[in-house]
Amino acid sequence: MATKNGNATALTVLSPIKNAVMGETSCADITRERCLSLPIHEKSPLARVPNTYLARLFVLDDVYYESLPASDCVFNFSDITSFFSDSARKKALPRKDHLKSKYLVFSSNFYGDLDAYLAGLWKNWSYIDLSGNQRDVRHIWEYCVAFDRVTDISSFIDYIKRCQLDASLFFNGSTDDSLQEQLKSLYLKQEFTRFAIEHQGKNAAEIQQDFKTFIQRVQPENLSSPTWPPGKSAP
Amino acid sequence: MTYKLDLTDIQGNIIKAYGSYNYQKARYLLFRVNDGDKGRQFVGAIATKVTSAVPWGKLEGNAVAGKPQATTNIAFTYMGLQALELPDASLRGFPEDFMMGMAERKEILGDDGPSDPKFWDRIWKEDVHIWISINGQSIEAVEERYDWILQQIDACKNGVTLLMGHRGETGEDNLPYQDASVLYDNNGAPSPKEHFGYTDGIGDAVFEGQTNVAARALGRGKLTRDGNWEPLATGEFLLGHVDEAMEYPRTAPTPALLAHNGTYMVYRKLHENVGTFNRFLDEQSKTFSGSKELLAAKFSGRWRDNGAPIVNAPDDTSKAEWDKRFAAADFAGKKRMLSDFTYNEDMHGAKCPFSAHLRRINPRGSLEFGVRDAYETPGALVNRRRIIRRGLPYGTVKDATRDDGNHGIIFMALNADIQRQFEFIQQQWINYANDFKEGNDKEVLLGNHDADSPGKVVIHTDPDSGKPPHFVTNIPRLVETRGGGYFFIPSITAVKLIAAGLIDPT
Repeated sequence: MATKNGNATALTVLSPIKNAVMGETSCADITRERCLSLPIHEKSPLARVPNTYLARLFVLDDVYYESLPASDCVFNFSDITSFFSDSARKKALPRKDHLKSKYLVFSSNFYGDLDAYLAGLWKNWSYIDLSGNQRDVRHIWEYCVAFDRVTDISSFIDYIKRCQLDASLFFNGSTDDSLQEQLKSLYLKQEFTRFAIEHQGKNAAEIQQDFKTFIQRVQPENLSSPTWPPGKSAP
Repeated sequence: MTYKLDLTDIQGNIIKAYGSYNYQKARYLLFRVNDGDKGRQFVGAIATKVTSAVPWGKLEGNAVAGKPQATTNIAFTYMGLQALELPDASLRGFPEDFMMGMAERKEILGDDGPSDPKFWDRIWKEDVHIWISINGQSIEAVEERYDWILQQIDACKNGVTLLMGHRGETGEDNLPYQDASVLYDNNGAPSPKEHFGYTDGIGDAVFEGQTNVAARALGRGKLTRDGNWEPLATGEFLLGHVDEAMEYPRTAPTPALLAHNGTYMVYRKLHENVGTFNRFLDEQSKTFSGSKELLAAKFSGRWRDNGAPIVNAPDDTSKAEWDKRFAAADFAGKKRMLSDFTYNEDMHGAKCPFSAHLRRINPRGSLEFGVRDAYETPGALVNRRRIIRRGLPYGTVKDATRDDGNHGIIFMALNADIQRQFEFIQQQWINYANDFKEGNDKEVLLGNHDADSPGKVVIHTDPDSGKPPHFVTNIPRLVETRGGGYFFIPSITAVKLIAAGLIDPT
């Protein structure tokens, strides 16, 4: 199965949103608004969810109509159908499909296995939204069909798994290391570059002495601190 | 069958770098069209003197094209073509970048801080419609052609206005033209240098249909899998011809006659901060292990004195040997030594750094990073990002310790697709370095370095040498944009059709 690539997992979740209206606003629009009000970068709730490489949330309103694919063949289907009447040709085009409901899509590339990741997501997904309210993961999924049956970690994991799609082609754009290791590497790379620049041309004894202090400060073996904070985008 | 371009139809500045043909002086003029009819009359008058790409002194049919004392070429902005009343259906076919113009593209180009359009020569606040260039074998020849053009303004009863507002040598900001000139050495002989002292204009892209392409393509065309060079597809530089994707460029407007044999020109006035450059080079060479000239060469990829590519002359010793071989080589051999090289033996950038100007603007197949057959062809990421460079230095440096004054390069890039070619190079390769695995390190000379958060680049060493790399830090803004625009250079046929009001997209 292509859902895993090394230690990385591709999670795609499609949760149907209730076809209901709250006041004059649809549940889908409320859900979309909640997605759009998530804080970003280091304040994003996803920055708190361990081992998230890259994740996104959006509302899928409907599927796109694909029309006919272009073809290099000398004779392809549309060439042949062009001999027929216009109505016959139109009948031969791909059927137009629509979704029966709108979906909340959660897609995440993360390090490790699904159960542990979802448990981390349930426990750590908390944030203060743009209006200053404390929110947890239930706030985003609140209007999804059958989400009211989710009451604890295990029912959340069951729910997400029922909504999960298998990835058919997963390219992991990250390395195969845990997020903590990657963030520490990023931190060390930046700090070491700075060290190298500051010590250019100095004598070996001085560099060695300063390097010891440098190592004590950056603690390469300590993955949790000091490090680059998850979600932080600029120095 | 050999592909042959219609050189009588193509404007000469596309095919010829006039500077290499002893045209030492240039003058660039910008016009506003006041009236469609009279404006077209002006264009028609200029069309009679537009210089074609026909080889000089050679027979073309029954005619002999003598080498003129002065050349003239013409190009138009999108607003200019509107003012000349091209049909809407033709105007709509132009690409977005050209329609917007250079100033509107400042975020893509990195024209920020001192390069922001609000600091440009004030002429760029005018409605720039037409660009005309004069290249002359002498300043007298330029003046004579300039006077003739002024007469055409009168003759068309002010259908166009020659715009004022180029900055000049002595602080004036209302000049009616931008002059440019080769620089002269201490003996008064013309030199191929620019104001930082680099030898400029050595290797331009070579494409199918040009003369003698087999020899000229070495190091200047596209690298093949077996290590040979072939000319690039014509459509990378001329509309109406097939490009590297085996397609006709999608940037061509209709009708075909309007686009065919035309191209887009990026015109930029680039001010060089000579004082800052000299101080920066002095300061940085104090901690650099090689000579100051070697460090200067590491910035550009070529040695300043004779343009020797550092990838083949990576230190002072090998440079001395290169110079000996160069002195002994014949004309063709010299050309080869300057152009025919790759970075295949320099995958770590120990000879030519990834930040060097030369390697950034034309990575020559090195973006495979030594992974053989990573792409279908080693130039897969390069062949659609090439430009033809034209231009000359402008102004004089009166005090090499100062930045102010009016001196730099009139830079022109010719390409079929401004966004895909010039803008991509500027945005992704000059001001960013992810493709070179160097994060956001900007190219040293042209990068839009930020005074508040100055960047660095790494001058690499051979990993097996045990020597530390050198970090070039606190890089200041060395080059600032002082003006520019996006222009369409039509074929000579199309110039005449525009003049006659005969562009018909139906």
